[in-house]
Amino acid sequence: MTARGFAKNLRLHLIAGAVVASFAVVAYRLVELHVLDREHYLSQIQDARHRVVADPARRGDILDTRGDLLATTRTDITLAIDPWALPEKIEAQKFAARKAAFENDQRAARAALAELLGMPAGTLEAAFAPAWKTIPVPEDTEDEAPDGRVRVRYMKLLEGVTEEHFSRIQALRLPGKKDPVRIAGLTHERRFRRVYPHRDLAAHVLGYVNKEDVPSGGVEAYADRYLKGLSGWREIERDGKRTELAQFRQREVPADDGWSVVLSIDCAVQHIAEQEMNALVAKFQPAKATIIVSDARTGFLLALANHPTFDLNEFGTTPLEKQRNIAAADLIEPGSTFKIVALAGALNEGLVTTASKFDCTLDSLVHNGKPRRFMRDDHRYDHPLNLSEVISHSSNVGTAQVGMLLGERRLYDYARAFGYGERSGYPLGREEPGLLADPARWSGIDITRIPAGYSIAATPLQIHYGMGVIASGGQLLRPQVIRQVLDTSGEPVYTFRPAVRRTVLAPATAETMARMLQKVASPDGTAKAAAIPGFEVAGKTGTAQKLIGGRYSPRNHVGSFVGFFPASRPRVVISVIVDDGHPPGGGTGYGAVVAVPSFRKVAEQLIQYLDVKPVTAPGVALAALPKEGVRR
Amino acid sequence: MKIRSTRAFATQIVLGSLVALGTGGSLGFAIVDLRRDISVSANTARVLEQRIAETERRVAEIGGLVAAGQSPEVLEERNQTLALGLVPPVETRVVRVGISVTDRLAANRKAEIFAAETGQNLAPVRFNLGGAPR
Repeated sequence: MTARGFAKNLRLHLIAGAVVASFAVVAYRLVELHVLDREHYLSQIQDARHRVVADPARRGDILDTRGDLLATTRTDITLAIDPWALPEKIEAQKFAARKAAFENDQRAARAALAELLGMPAGTLEAAFAPAWKTIPVPEDTEDEAPDGRVRVRYMKLLEGVTEEHFSRIQALRLPGKKDPVRIAGLTHERRFRRVYPHRDLAAHVLGYVNKEDVPSGGVEAYADRYLKGLSGWREIERDGKRTELAQFRQREVPADDGWSVVLSIDCAVQHIAEQEMNALVAKFQPAKATIIVSDARTGFLLALANHPTFDLNEFGTTPLEKQRNIAAADLIEPGSTFKIVALAGALNEGLVTTASKFDCTLDSLVHNGKPRRFMRDDHRYDHPLNLSEVISHSSNVGTAQVGMLLGERRLYDYARAFGYGERSGYPLGREEPGLLADPARWSGIDITRIPAGYSIAATPLQIHYGMGVIASGGQLLRPQVIRQVLDTSGEPVYTFRPAVRRTVLAPATAETMARMLQKVASPDGTAKAAAIPGFEVAGKTGTAQKLIGGRYSPRNHVGSFVGFFPASRPRVVISVIVDDGHPPGGGTGYGAVVAVPSFRKVAEQLIQYLDVKPVTAPGVALAALPKEGVRR
Repeated sequence: MKIRSTRAFATQIVLGSLVALGTGGSLGFAIVDLRRDISVSANTARVLEQRIAETERRVAEIGGLVAAGQSPEVLEERNQTLALGLVPPVETRVVRVGISVTDRLAANRKAEIFAAETGQNLAPVRFNLGGAPR
């Protein structure tokens, strides 16, 4: 076939010219779109379709030592309304019949929604009613009429909707309809929210995360770097219905969820402590109280309960006063619990032995060339007390004499070595260092007061870990709460080990002290009610008058008992400190009255829970029992 | 090929254009189809991502609810509500035995069985849980 056979010359030229011209037009248009006006159209697309969407990281969990959730993160949905969306959609319907059907469907859907949300249908209808709000005229740029009235486009309907509840809202169907109905104007916002399933359990240890995702106190603040994770983002394009066009996803940095933190706190032990705290508060109505339980061998905290306390989920309505961890942030005079410092120091220095005797009927004694008056003992003794009796009877006079033997400087050094006058290293939140003046600034009488726990101030944690020196075999341990950090797959990233701050006493001295402290919880001691047969409870009571208005009050006391058991192989150290407790029927809030019974109740439950074996079982000699890994 | 006349040239242009249109169109359709497939795959992946995220959200929510339900405080409330009479084990309620527990139980059982023969009037131990009717 030849070219001649197709058509005449002119027609072919015309067709060829038209084809070429068409291609030229298309080519020009393409050049115009893709080269000449490229920036203009790109910016339009950028504005209309392009978005950078944040991908927030999920905060890690806080677990107790057995893996129970203490704090977790869940999503929280807030339902909101754009009241003008409905009239706009109705207006957009072209046919009257469809408009009426749409209106009816929407009305029925709102009624179903009201029922699902448990709110009166009238209330929901009122919320959907289009409304205006007044703003300053210069700011009214939303519509063409700058009259100071703008449409309300966002109205919060309900906060704290759960995922399950929300999925039911999304699946809402009208009778006879196959697909779920979309309620015009109903929007939602999903964000992470921190929840504390056990409410006030270990509140002062955990801390909380506020609504701006800022951690406040406790583990939440301390371990924030592990918990918070790293938020991601992605650049996306959306279509006209605001649905993401996944194929145009450009760049994406996925969120890196936070790691989890495992604490040494045990939910069950914490609950035992808090339950006892509630009973104690109901009985003695103290201003403040603290119960601390720690592992005698490692220093890890098992429980820390304070009064007053608060519900972590309701932090916003709790006064800051209640949120303070009084175990670390409040100072008290330790009273007789401090006597272990002078006695252990003198024993460790070889200045006294358990057989050393002290005349505790004396009123004063010459020290550094001057007579020093003692603080009187509550009892009069008919014989000189040996060292063991000094501590079991809690003699102020005897302890002051031991303090004089030790001397100001060494007493001060031992007090510092026991952790008084310096921060213990408790990692969670504000901690006070306590008050322990340098001997150069002591008054003449201080040598009789300080050995008995007056003229100094300490936090409950310092007092607790001071006793821990005896329980651990002479070492001052660092208070620790975090055991492990786990990554998102549950693998340990970091494990915290027991930390020894310093060695204070020789193991033999610590053992001797433990045996002497055991007698405090004997029929002759000040805490006979603390004794649990077979478990060698050792400890020290303390009763310090409170300094009110510059004078020691005869009515306001800090009563305490700090002890551990079993004395020969200590497992747990327990402190019960009650500030300004009032025994029912009057009387003084002595440590033996307000703190010892609680110590015993906590200890009895811990024996079962921690499976502490009795040391002095029937027919078993003490020496035959195996000793566990303490410095002895 | 040598072009001998303008008519033949025009014919070739028309033919070439038609071929180009056909090829371009086919190619265009293929590209559109490919892009549609990419779009479908991307959207499927996105939907799956959303489902995974939704499942993770539900798991976190249920985990929180389980933890709250297992809280010692809640369990104690249920203990009271359901009148289970459970009490925390404390040392004073525990009898510690120094001999083999098996031997001790066997001895007790034998004592009960042979009580009638030995003339001893032994009654088996009955446990009364706290709150349970006697």
